[in-house]
Amino acid sequence: MNKRIYHTRPLSSRPKQAIQLLWVAVLLLGAIPVFSQVKDPTLDLKKLSVEELMNIEVTSVSKSPEKLTEVASAIQVITNEDIKRSAATRLPEALRLAPNLQVAQSNSHDWAITARGFNGAPLQNNTLADKLLVMIDGRSVYTPLFGGVFWDVQNVMLEDIDRVEVVSGPGGTLWGANAVNGVINIITKSASQTQGLLATAMPGSFLEDRIGVRYGGRIDSNLYFRVYGQHFDQATSHLPNGNDAQDQWNMTQGGFRADYAPGSRDQLMIQGDFYGGKEDTAGRTEVDGQDIVAKWSHRYSHAGELVVQAYFDRTWRNLTKSVFTDRVNSYDLDIQRNFSLNRKNRIICGITYRYQQDQVNNTPTLLFTPETKDLQLFSGFVQDQVSIIAHRLDLTLGTKLLHNDYTGFEWQPSVRMAWTPSLNNTLWAAVSRAVRTPSRLDVEAKTPTIVTPPGSFLSENVISYELGYRLRPVENLNFSIATFYNDYHDLRSINTNQPGPPAFIFANGQKAQTWGLEISGNAVISEGWRLRGGYTFMNKQFQKTSPNVISGSDLFEGIDPNNQVLIQSITDLGRHLRFDWTGRYVDNLVQSSLTAGVPSYITLDARIAWDAKHYTISIAGQNLLQHYHAEFGTRQIPSSVYARICVRF
Amino acid sequence: MHAQAPSAREYQVKAVFLFNFSHFVEWPSSAFGSAESPMTIGVLGNNPFGSYLEQAVAGETMDGRKLVIRYCSDIKEALGCQMLFINTPGRTKEVLAALSGKSILTVGDGEDFAKNGGMIQFYLANNKTRIKINLTAAKAANITISSKLLRLAEIVE
Repeated sequence: MNKRIYHTRPLSSRPKQAIQLLWVAVLLLGAIPVFSQVKDPTLDLKKLSVEELMNIEVTSVSKSPEKLTEVASAIQVITNEDIKRSAATRLPEALRLAPNLQVAQSNSHDWAITARGFNGAPLQNNTLADKLLVMIDGRSVYTPLFGGVFWDVQNVMLEDIDRVEVVSGPGGTLWGANAVNGVINIITKSASQTQGLLATAMPGSFLEDRIGVRYGGRIDSNLYFRVYGQHFDQATSHLPNGNDAQDQWNMTQGGFRADYAPGSRDQLMIQGDFYGGKEDTAGRTEVDGQDIVAKWSHRYSHAGELVVQAYFDRTWRNLTKSVFTDRVNSYDLDIQRNFSLNRKNRIICGITYRYQQDQVNNTPTLLFTPETKDLQLFSGFVQDQVSIIAHRLDLTLGTKLLHNDYTGFEWQPSVRMAWTPSLNNTLWAAVSRAVRTPSRLDVEAKTPTIVTPPGSFLSENVISYELGYRLRPVENLNFSIATFYNDYHDLRSINTNQPGPPAFIFANGQKAQTWGLEISGNAVISEGWRLRGGYTFMNKQFQKTSPNVISGSDLFEGIDPNNQVLIQSITDLGRHLRFDWTGRYVDNLVQSSLTAGVPSYITLDARIAWDAKHYTISIAGQNLLQHYHAEFGTRQIPSSVYARICVRF
Repeated sequence: MHAQAPSAREYQVKAVFLFNFSHFVEWPSSAFGSAESPMTIGVLGNNPFGSYLEQAVAGETMDGRKLVIRYCSDIKEALGCQMLFINTPGRTKEVLAALSGKSILTVGDGEDFAKNGGMIQFYLANNKTRIKINLTAAKAANITISSKLLRLAEIVE
């Protein structure tokens, strides 16, 4: 019997209001950078340890992407520093810092995250967003069960993240399958960058506690390693009537990474993680997983490179109440080669083989047939970056060809162009096709009311037209604008099944068009004050391509806000004191036949910290402007505070 | 990928590194005139630091010694320094040969600086500063480099 009693009754209103007013006062004070006495940057740098000095980006605070595929795309980067200077405690919270992502917390442990729309309709607060490719150090983390991500088990230690690259738009050519609306690439620091001991502890109200330890050492010259462990307990969210939603959970995760550079041309990396956790009252859901990744890269003398990567990933999820269990074993091998064909052509090509075994224990209300399914994915891609006018006009042509077990061969071609009329000024355009191959949910799921005929579900596809502009007028200011028009075909729909019973099937009876604008920027306003953020607008319209499509099919595929705004302010007040806040505005979500609407909201996170050479103490608050608010579905996320101490040797 | 001109930031960071090195390196007592002599950081050749070195050492001491910056026009002046940043493109090999055996910590950022006998070489990787250390050259000059710094560097023979 679960002995812990989770108390998250709201504080009585008067002390809570006082706290809110205090935060607003501190915010107003902190926004004025006059307290920053630091005139010369050298003084700032002297406070850093040698390891920290080695982490400073030397060309500018915000680096413009250099790889052409990145220049001609709507890429936004969240750095380790951006995450550290926010109130984020877990990966999904850190992803909020990318203005081009829609990030919504649907309950204490689940999140709905996508780019450019199609956060699929919540079923009991679980999202079906399936158009994003998410990778951690090259390992894909979306599940073949429904093509989306279980965010409760993606718990990279935030201190070990080097940066998160978020590309909105189809990455079908260069990246793996499922990159229809975007790619999130989480890149952790190499072991040589995480040396010494780091330990952190955080008690709080919603995040009840978190402890993390990481130790990095060196075995030989050129062989570095680190090991880490973390554990956290998160309290329950709330139902609209104020009662506990009983979705509290805890998670323990540990792992290691080793980097070996036998010469200046070769690098070998091995990493592994394992985790286990329990969710909801009486441990109603249990999860555990393990993974191991190995990567070897070899640099040739004429700017060519060969990268070979292999990984094994096992996830297990057990819903004890309904006795539904899912276990996925994934084996993946990826080989990539890039080289210069001649002075004008740079070629990247690669092949991937992935074998996944998904084993499900069926329940009367949710069945997958067969219970155990083996899935194989073969893919190859080739891309040519053509330098039409050196340093001024570049054209990228590429295509990916993949073969999957449900629909056979699929093509994902792409053309991108970048024009740099003057330094730090780039105009780019792209046209691409991307494909979402069917998941087990589309093809093999059966419920009492849905039975899809085998072999009938096709891939969804999109043709995406993009235009963007990137500008860095002075060293400490950069911003980018990206616009898109996406034309989707064969989107999943729920159709009536005639002649009847059972009542419904999954089919490809919808198409849609989406369009939008993403603006993001990064500015160092004065010494010690940095602002970053962005605005994203998106709208969409659906059409049915079959008379059997039931109404509400469109909202089942995506309930997305039209507008969202993010502003993050990072301020150094003198040598040690830090004041950071992040404000977000998210538009409302419309009501559908399956879900209540969610009103628009503005929320604020804030953080005050004292940074010394060997420790940092901070207090932070999340979602400070309302006692509770919903972001996706009906669960209410509470405002919360936590304290944190982090020591480093 | 086009090479970028070094930014102000690159040399601000390197100036602070030079100041930091003084805490990780031990010189033989013969390197100083007396217990009260200052520690002299010199720059031989073109000065890429502007005034960053002065800013980095302003108000600081090392082991009770004041820190002084000297811009050297020839090797004779350089001999009076304990740490020397060498920026003499085309002549670096000769300069290092002339200084070999002297208890001066030689630092530079030319491509083969450490290979040619320089003790600490800066290089950039992924837009970040890294160092290579030629331990043999340091030992030959009776200079001891702390393991805390060696741990962070690529060791070159």
